[in-house]
Amino acid sequence: MPLITLDRVSYRYPEADRPALSEITTGVEPGEVILLRGASGSGKSTLLRCLNGLVPHSTGGQFRGRVVVCGLDTREHPPRQLGIHIGFVFQHPDAQFVLEDVEAELAFGLENLGLSRPLMRKRVEEVIDQVGINPLRRRRIDTLSGGERQRVAIAAALAMHPKALVLDEPTSQLDPQAAEDVLQVVLRLVAELGMTTVIAEHRVERIAPFVDRIWTIDAGVLRDQPPRIALAEGGARPPVVDLALRAGWTPIPLGLRDARVHAQRLPHRVPSPSPNSPSPGGGVWGPVICKVEGLDHHYDAVPAVQGLSVTLCRGQVVALMGRNGSGKTTLLRLIAGLMRPQRGTVTHDGVAAYVPQDADSLLFAPTVDEELRGQSAEVVAPFAAWLHRYPRDLSSGERQQLAIALMGARADLLLLDEPTRGLDPLVKRALSAYLRTRAGAGAGILVATHDVEWAARTADRILLMADGEIYADGPPGTVLSDSLVFATQISKLVGGGWLLPEEVPL
Amino acid sequence: MIRHPLAWGAWTAAALAAAFIDRNPYLQALLLLVVINVFVPYRGGRRAGTWKFALALALVPILFSAALSRFGEHVLFTLPAIPIIGGRWTLDAVAFGASTGLALLLTVAVFGILQTTVRSADVVAILPRPLYRAGTTVALALAFAPKTLAAFQSIREARQLRGQRTGWRSTPALLLPLLLTTLERALQYGESLDARGFGSGRRSRYRPLRWTVPDLIVVIASLTAIVAIAVLPAVPYNPYLELTPSVPYPDRLLAVALLAVPAFVASLSRVDHAPHHA
Repeated sequence: MPLITLDRVSYRYPEADRPALSEITTGVEPGEVILLRGASGSGKSTLLRCLNGLVPHSTGGQFRGRVVVCGLDTREHPPRQLGIHIGFVFQHPDAQFVLEDVEAELAFGLENLGLSRPLMRKRVEEVIDQVGINPLRRRRIDTLSGGERQRVAIAAALAMHPKALVLDEPTSQLDPQAAEDVLQVVLRLVAELGMTTVIAEHRVERIAPFVDRIWTIDAGVLRDQPPRIALAEGGARPPVVDLALRAGWTPIPLGLRDARVHAQRLPHRVPSPSPNSPSPGGGVWGPVICKVEGLDHHYDAVPAVQGLSVTLCRGQVVALMGRNGSGKTTLLRLIAGLMRPQRGTVTHDGVAAYVPQDADSLLFAPTVDEELRGQSAEVVAPFAAWLHRYPRDLSSGERQQLAIALMGARADLLLLDEPTRGLDPLVKRALSAYLRTRAGAGAGILVATHDVEWAARTADRILLMADGEIYADGPPGTVLSDSLVFATQISKLVGGGWLLPEEVPL
Repeated sequence: MIRHPLAWGAWTAAALAAAFIDRNPYLQALLLLVVINVFVPYRGGRRAGTWKFALALALVPILFSAALSRFGEHVLFTLPAIPIIGGRWTLDAVAFGASTGLALLLTVAVFGILQTTVRSADVVAILPRPLYRAGTTVALALAFAPKTLAAFQSIREARQLRGQRTGWRSTPALLLPLLLTTLERALQYGESLDARGFGSGRRSRYRPLRWTVPDLIVVIASLTAIVAIAVLPAVPYNPYLELTPSVPYPDRLLAVALLAVPAFVASLSRVDHAPHHA
């Protein structure tokens, strides 16, 4: 008997002109792991919120069809009763905690269930071990990092002994290491407890090898398919799948391990002296736009940037990569002139624009039209369809595009901090295209990013940064191919300096 | 570690009494030492972000008192007859300002400790059962204030990035996005509470707050200090009467030193708690 059944579910938000979900019929069997894919704004969150009754109980709107969770119809049972059966983890790590410290937070849901004290204690101790957060148990939540918060949120949901775990893009606000930690927890629960899981996640390459089915949602219409069929059809998919489709491998490998067997059969070619196709910009740079010399910056006694020198040229897209806390954001802010360097000099031509990680706060007008007032026609053109919409109703990808267009419109030097965080592949490609166009028109671009695949596809030059210093500088084909951490999936699989699935000779 | 909100309440009352009843520099210096020693083990890995504000609070009275007061025997220098600040600047006025400033600094520090040590979950836990829902709501609202402030700062910075003015006059323009951000967050909290079964009727308590021996020792020490400070002869300090402060009696120093009990308790239990603050 299925754990969750959706029977012709349609839903329309109050005052919306088109339905967010239409005629969705599917189900979740006990023990299944389901990946939910879809562009930002396609209805992923709405669908997941149907599973614990938040839609329609907390949103209102027009709801048709039936969702039955463990025998309970969600129209008749409010979320607080369904919460016993469905553990829910939200996207934003900071807005889901009620109390101040970790242990109290883990017990909060159990207190609401009215469990006896010894049972609560047992449950709390168990989830602390299952999720591996013992070192955090006495910490205050406001001292935790985003990744730690998401793990606590998973533990808090798990403590209620739910029948299924539902996670709404739990890693989209996190840096890659934290995202990896969170996904490890999810995958361990799946492996060890056989936890029934429905997860919306952009990092498809990490999840794909472990899922039973993939739900793909597009404009509110759901397709429920086995993983290989869904990935072959399109949408967000791991680079090895792209390569497998080109090379005609069957069955399609879902992860690196499956792909190794097939990769043996690829012709072994000696990489040409300059491996990798010519970099996207063609290798001819314009004049120098920014020169950084002997830059030093400390926070209290902690060095963020130490004795750093670098030169950026017009027409170049440069990706700045490195672990968290390596000084990337500080470097961008110093170049943008938002902070004064403690030692060293930054000189640049023309106008520099800095777009911070959280682009949401950059938009505050009541309509997109008002945000764009005073901009030239070519800046406004791509947004013609949204002019009357309220910026905060746009999806996160759309907001990011708007913010970058606004900030970058008049800039000669564009400094972006983690612009791809939480974006789906389609929006990421649009961002690549936009940056390439701007570089082609003579702008200099420096992007701090953790996204190796995106950087390999977009940048002409990669800077690797650690401990406030740049320790590698060169074209992607060189820098990203002889690296363990900053390597694309294809380079891990094939080696030889090939980074992207379309480059590999067959 | 001391945890009971009422123990911290007693400690706060005693510390405030010590800071205000007689502003003798020796006692103030001792109290500052005590407060710092209590703050360090209880800050829970957080950095002291407000020390600049506290320092300004201590320095401003010195400047005001020195510039505005014309009393005192010990003249430092004399300014020509400029309105308000002209005339004699005296060491006595500087000392008076310093003493006031120190009292303000101590007050801020004591409330800072109260704010870092008392957890809203514990306050909710000592409320009688019928007040539970209201208490949780208040705890949520209190947690909201610092987040709203952070949102305000990020919106301000965003406006700066977009090259808009950030002076006082732009405040109304900041309020709308602030209100929207806050509302969005409030809705998310609501969903989270709902999803975790809040308000479904039956309710039990995970760790009812119990009085521990150290909690009781802190209460006793604090009450003793309050009584001692109130009963023992005061050693007031008024720099205009006598610039050199009189040395307080040892019993009064001892009363202030009693307030270091939470720091002492923390140092005893440091061994098992150290890893959690790493």
